[in-house]
Amino acid sequence: MHLKYESFVREPLVNGEKTYHQVTEEIVRPIEQKPGRMWYVGFFFSVALLMLGVFSVTWEVYYGIGVWGINRTVGWGWDITNFVWWVGIGHAGTLISAILLLFRQGWRTGVNRAAEAMTIFAVMCAGQFPVFHMGRVWDAGFIFPLPNSRGPLWPNFNSALLWDVFAISTYFTVSLLFWYSGLIPDFATVRDRAKTKLRKRLYGIASFGWTGSAKNWQRHEALSLVLAGLSTPLVLSVHTIVSFDFATSVIPGWHATIFPPYFVAGAIFSGFAMVQTLLIVCRRIVGLEDYITVGHIEAMNKVIVLTGSIVGVAYLTELFMSWYSQVIYEQDAFKWRIMGPYWWSYWAMMTCNVVSPQLFWFKKLRRNIPFTFIMSIVVNIGMWFERFVIIVTSLYRDYLPSSWTYYSPTWPEVGFYLGTFGLFFTCFFLFAKYFPVIAIAEIKFILKTSGESFKHKMDVIHEKPTEQFVHEQAEAHH
Amino acid sequence: MSQKKYWKGLGELNETAVHQESTSNEFKGDLPFDLSGNLLDAQTPRRDFLKYLGFSTAAAMLAASCEMPVRKVIPYAIKPEDITPGVPNFYASTFVDNGDYCAIVIKTRDGRPIKIEGNSKSSITKGGTSARVQASVLNLYDKARLRQPYIDNHESTFEAIDRAVTAALAANTKPAYLVTGSILSPTTKEVINQFTIKFPTVKHIVFDAVSYSGMLQANEACYGKRTLPSYHFDKAQTIVSLGADFLGTWLSPVEFAKQYSVGRKISASNLKMSKHYQVESNHTTTGAKADERAVCRPSEMGTVAVALYNAITTGEAPKLGNDKLNEVVAKAAADLKKGNGLVVCGANDVNIQTVVNAINNAVGANGTTVNWAVTSNYRQGIDADMVNMVNAMNAGEVGAVFFHNVNPVYEYYQASKVLEGLKKVPLTVSFAERRDETAKECKYIIPDHHYLESWGDAEPKTGYFSLMQPGIAPIFKTRAFQDNLMAWAGNTTTYAQYWNQYWLTKMGSQQAFDIALQEGIIEPTGEMAMGGATFSGNVSNAISGIKKPLSGGKEIFVYEKIAIGRGAGYSNNPWLLEMPDPMTKATWDNYALVSPKTAADLGAELTSINEVDAKKHVVKLTVNGISMELPIVVMPGMHNEVVAVALGYGRSKEVGRAADNTGKNAYPFISYNGNNFENFTAVAIEKTELVYPVAITQTHLSYEGRPILHEYTIEEFSKDPKVLWNEREAEIGHYTHLPWAEKDSKEETGISDEGRDPMEEGFRENGTLYPNYESHGIHWGMSIDLNTCVGCGNCVMACQAENNVSVVGKTEVLKSQEMHWIRIDRYFSGMPDDPNSITTVFQPMMCQHCDNAPCENVCPVAATPHTNEGLNMMTYNRCIGTKYCANNCPYKVRRFNWLDWNGADCFDDNLYEDYRRDDMNDDLTRMVLNPDVTVRSRGVMEKCTFCVQRLQYAKLEAKKAGRPLMDGEAKTACQQSCPTDAIQFGNTKDKESNIYKLRNKEQMERKFYVLEQIHTLPNINYLALIRNNESIVGGDVTKDGLMNEHI
Repeated sequence: MHLKYESFVREPLVNGEKTYHQVTEEIVRPIEQKPGRMWYVGFFFSVALLMLGVFSVTWEVYYGIGVWGINRTVGWGWDITNFVWWVGIGHAGTLISAILLLFRQGWRTGVNRAAEAMTIFAVMCAGQFPVFHMGRVWDAGFIFPLPNSRGPLWPNFNSALLWDVFAISTYFTVSLLFWYSGLIPDFATVRDRAKTKLRKRLYGIASFGWTGSAKNWQRHEALSLVLAGLSTPLVLSVHTIVSFDFATSVIPGWHATIFPPYFVAGAIFSGFAMVQTLLIVCRRIVGLEDYITVGHIEAMNKVIVLTGSIVGVAYLTELFMSWYSQVIYEQDAFKWRIMGPYWWSYWAMMTCNVVSPQLFWFKKLRRNIPFTFIMSIVVNIGMWFERFVIIVTSLYRDYLPSSWTYYSPTWPEVGFYLGTFGLFFTCFFLFAKYFPVIAIAEIKFILKTSGESFKHKMDVIHEKPTEQFVHEQAEAHH
Repeated sequence: MSQKKYWKGLGELNETAVHQESTSNEFKGDLPFDLSGNLLDAQTPRRDFLKYLGFSTAAAMLAASCEMPVRKVIPYAIKPEDITPGVPNFYASTFVDNGDYCAIVIKTRDGRPIKIEGNSKSSITKGGTSARVQASVLNLYDKARLRQPYIDNHESTFEAIDRAVTAALAANTKPAYLVTGSILSPTTKEVINQFTIKFPTVKHIVFDAVSYSGMLQANEACYGKRTLPSYHFDKAQTIVSLGADFLGTWLSPVEFAKQYSVGRKISASNLKMSKHYQVESNHTTTGAKADERAVCRPSEMGTVAVALYNAITTGEAPKLGNDKLNEVVAKAAADLKKGNGLVVCGANDVNIQTVVNAINNAVGANGTTVNWAVTSNYRQGIDADMVNMVNAMNAGEVGAVFFHNVNPVYEYYQASKVLEGLKKVPLTVSFAERRDETAKECKYIIPDHHYLESWGDAEPKTGYFSLMQPGIAPIFKTRAFQDNLMAWAGNTTTYAQYWNQYWLTKMGSQQAFDIALQEGIIEPTGEMAMGGATFSGNVSNAISGIKKPLSGGKEIFVYEKIAIGRGAGYSNNPWLLEMPDPMTKATWDNYALVSPKTAADLGAELTSINEVDAKKHVVKLTVNGISMELPIVVMPGMHNEVVAVALGYGRSKEVGRAADNTGKNAYPFISYNGNNFENFTAVAIEKTELVYPVAITQTHLSYEGRPILHEYTIEEFSKDPKVLWNEREAEIGHYTHLPWAEKDSKEETGISDEGRDPMEEGFRENGTLYPNYESHGIHWGMSIDLNTCVGCGNCVMACQAENNVSVVGKTEVLKSQEMHWIRIDRYFSGMPDDPNSITTVFQPMMCQHCDNAPCENVCPVAATPHTNEGLNMMTYNRCIGTKYCANNCPYKVRRFNWLDWNGADCFDDNLYEDYRRDDMNDDLTRMVLNPDVTVRSRGVMEKCTFCVQRLQYAKLEAKKAGRPLMDGEAKTACQQSCPTDAIQFGNTKDKESNIYKLRNKEQMERKFYVLEQIHTLPNINYLALIRNNESIVGGDVTKDGLMNEHI
């Protein structure tokens, strides 16, 4: 149970003197109003980017993968780099909603809805790449273990790529369910406030007939816990399995046992950075500074500095292991990473991921919103380079020097990547307009314990002598 | 019985009228139409209407959208006796291209030639082929071939041309010339003879674009014979080549490579190996194979020959341009004096060749390695004849000129003079197969047959004949060159009849003729006769006649590429154009080759940009006022003062689409010294601001000292033949003695381990956590000898022809998206600035058919499985193209169909490519495709299959005959065509097989597997390179400066 009293040392999670009604008002208002000009501009650009992506992909499917720059030596380029990058970003949402729920971290309520939405959209973006990197995308169905008349012929269960399919689709399904189940009470709130028939009807359907009865709440809580329990291992498993794509291979630079933890840490790192990027913009545009406070931002920055350091240790461990292995192919793979023609990608990764996040050890910088914003972008650039370094700079110079080559993307590859940004932001803009960006029900749940208004009421208690307070608390629990 | 009533509803209980009504009508079967009135007026209920509408729309859509393209198949109304669909026929024939000769077997399927094999019955080429021979089948289906005769570039008929030409010839009083390349055919010579008798004004002259006139003249001066001897590289203990690329392009490389390989085969039990010295200015494959190599200026070659001569005769120490050169010449002289020496020289200079003859005479080569009893006819052209004819043309003294197999407007060093001269000749006739630069200027073009459509013969060496029979009826309205001459000479028979009669008479009986035709060759039995000749050359005159070398400045050296040679029709052969040059690994272009130092001096140094960016600096080469801009390609081992440019490029669109805009013509860089054409001259070189992309398939030069290949000096190897074995044992040996090793597993599975290598077996079984899959029956394996591989690229072409490997075009090669299933990795070692220090290794690389293949377990859809015969298979239908397998292949031998290169895709109009390869999709060109091999569509992975179609064919033949497969019955295309037998293939479980003996007995010590330690268990082994010199440069950090260079 929540304490009736929370120390002032903990900063409030909701600023301002809010009543429950006010909370509802402030969060639901954007849905009921016409969106602002910024929304239209942003939405237009997102759709334009999405169209560019559709065009690039159509071009690639029509003419073939040869329109990309990948080649006989570097078989995966921007495509799988982007895939891993987006999947990584998709980690923060579930981590926030599931693991932090289980750890009873109250601050998660302010950011979990948007973070989960981000997860789902990021996984949607990620999913495009493995599909459209296939040479024969029209036969993509072969990858599913469907009963068939070809023998029967099953997929190869030894292949890490197949596990990927299962891992990502499971993760997507569970995340979607989790996100949606949390939305149900809030949809019901929107429905109940709706003034137009259409809105009432649509939100009525979306809220599955939520009545707000005690039984409803009880089942909702139970469902949330079950889904949180289910999602928790998924947060760890998805990127573990993605890392298996590389770790189970024989290519120097890929074949490494450190990959699973290193990938998961990196994923959380990039996921939190992306949440920062989105929420810093969102809280400003939608006016939710009271709900997404500097405290929230600081909390996430702490996660970033932790995971960034883990990632840094992993990089150094890789270097150590390549030396320690005494395998020349392994040593050279890292030598060419650091000093070869792609040296800039390695150093971009090192700078963005390891060096710059260390600045978050300073509280001042952690709580500096513009700095956090810049840093969140830097981290995501760094994490993109990390995947590029792992994929491209392992492949381009492997065992036989005769096949060493270089790789640069072509416009359809870049267009595809930009297109996924289009998809992501189109979805996010629609989400910001039609969905409650903050979990109303959950924020109300902590309002009375961690809200600023509540903390003022604590003044009386705060002034009480300690003995009396202890006594009263003990009494209250009897 | 109880009278209880059970009911389903109140209606049934009470038996209401409504219920009775409904039960009686329970299965009412009325049609939904109202049939009471006229059927056409009948009312259709709305729902039925919608049903029918839906069905008919769906049916119509289905019918409309599933229309299949109409494919025309014309069946045989009456099946020809000797053609069974699906069964290949083989015809022995002869490849002749001017003086280039190869005895071949044409493989035809359903009446069309699809593949050329070497004829192993020939004692000259012994079943070997060259890349050009392999690719010549594609020229048969060349779209740019002329399809009918032309007068003044208007379509015409043979009759009209015959009338016009005979009339013109009869009226002609001025001298006339029949210009041909070297002619090997005795019957053709006879036909020409008859023609010149009929028209005495006509003089037959021979023009060799790449001339050996100097040799012919020198031989005439020294031995009284204007001919070439037969060389016996197999009998030579010391081989000295002064700029002769005898393994790549010089005279008869297939023959010489075969002979050369005899002296280069080495094993622990047979440690004898020939010693090969090479002095050259550029860097050839022959130089790459040499034990000792030094560079000199092209103009210095004469001086080197003299130095060698002096060192042999007087013992005078050579004083040449650099120490290494002096050392090589001195050593070579010492070795030559021991006997069994052979000196060959590539210079087209009568004086130099006279000195070389004198050397051969002095070391007793005549009669041991230089055979004058059987002479060669490969080249017959005398340069002065051609020069005189061109002068005569310009003087207006020529009445008629006929061109057969020569293209002087392109190949002559002063093309403009030929062009001017032709305008003054009233009758100009070309027998060119395409509208080449000369044919374009001729009044009459009467296209000749392709050699695969022709009857003919060849006499490559005196007394050694080879018959040519067609593999297909002429595809176009073309006429044999000989038929024209015979028709004009008033002969009523055709050449084919004449030829038939000639050989019938010669053979004595129809039966003997049939056998000769079937075998393809008519040769004296037994060993080739051997004989010397009396040397009567004037050496001192020759020495004084040799020009002084240029002392400074750059020299340009014009050379032939292994792939397209002098050019001709091969300039438009996409297979050859895309074949990576063995030395540069460049495709599709020619370029100015320079050493790393020269490039650096020009400010176009070898930096990492070479590996990152295909764009090369363009230089301007100026020779005698002629300027040409060419990109530079850096070639370690080139002389620092030499720029080398290849012939055969810079053609026009009329020669063919592939030839269009491809490289520059280097013939203008040839000069004439008053006696011979010289392929070098002083050049001014300057860097321009331009860049030009050159598509190179291998950009990294060094093997970085990695144990992916092994080289030893003969001394190291003789001292300890187990040197490589010990290295391998240190890596994998301990797996044999693992305490938990299942020692008895072999007995259990019933497979005896006799002869099998316990170290390999131990590693196979214990080097993994997974169970070992023992295969039963056949297990295919291949062995590649790095000693005998000369890097000629023949296997690449053989594979391309056999396996329908796509040509991708320059733009795609630039993106490293080429498709060759087999590539020849070429690695340089040495100090980049010192060309004398460079050594080169060739390593053919294709799918290793790993028994524990990394590609197989990563494929998500199991599209690449393993057979129990040890083959790594590709199931194209199943492949979805994730490219994961290619990424995980440590050998990087998998090739992806990036684009629709064959029109085999289900998407229309999606050919997104270089126009220069467009012809590959033409219906005519596609006739070259092997019907036994799937044409891969876009988006699937492919790779070497060990020619599985050939293995299946051989197994089926054995099965039909009711016996086990015999060794040598199943041959891969690369193995079959290899002129040095470097590739051996067979069933590794057959104890009688060559591969078994090789791996387990003869070559145990030299055997290694590439990347053995990562436990891929490859089914291809390599044999270590043994050099007959004193130290190995590769991987030695003090000597191998290329190794740590960031190139």
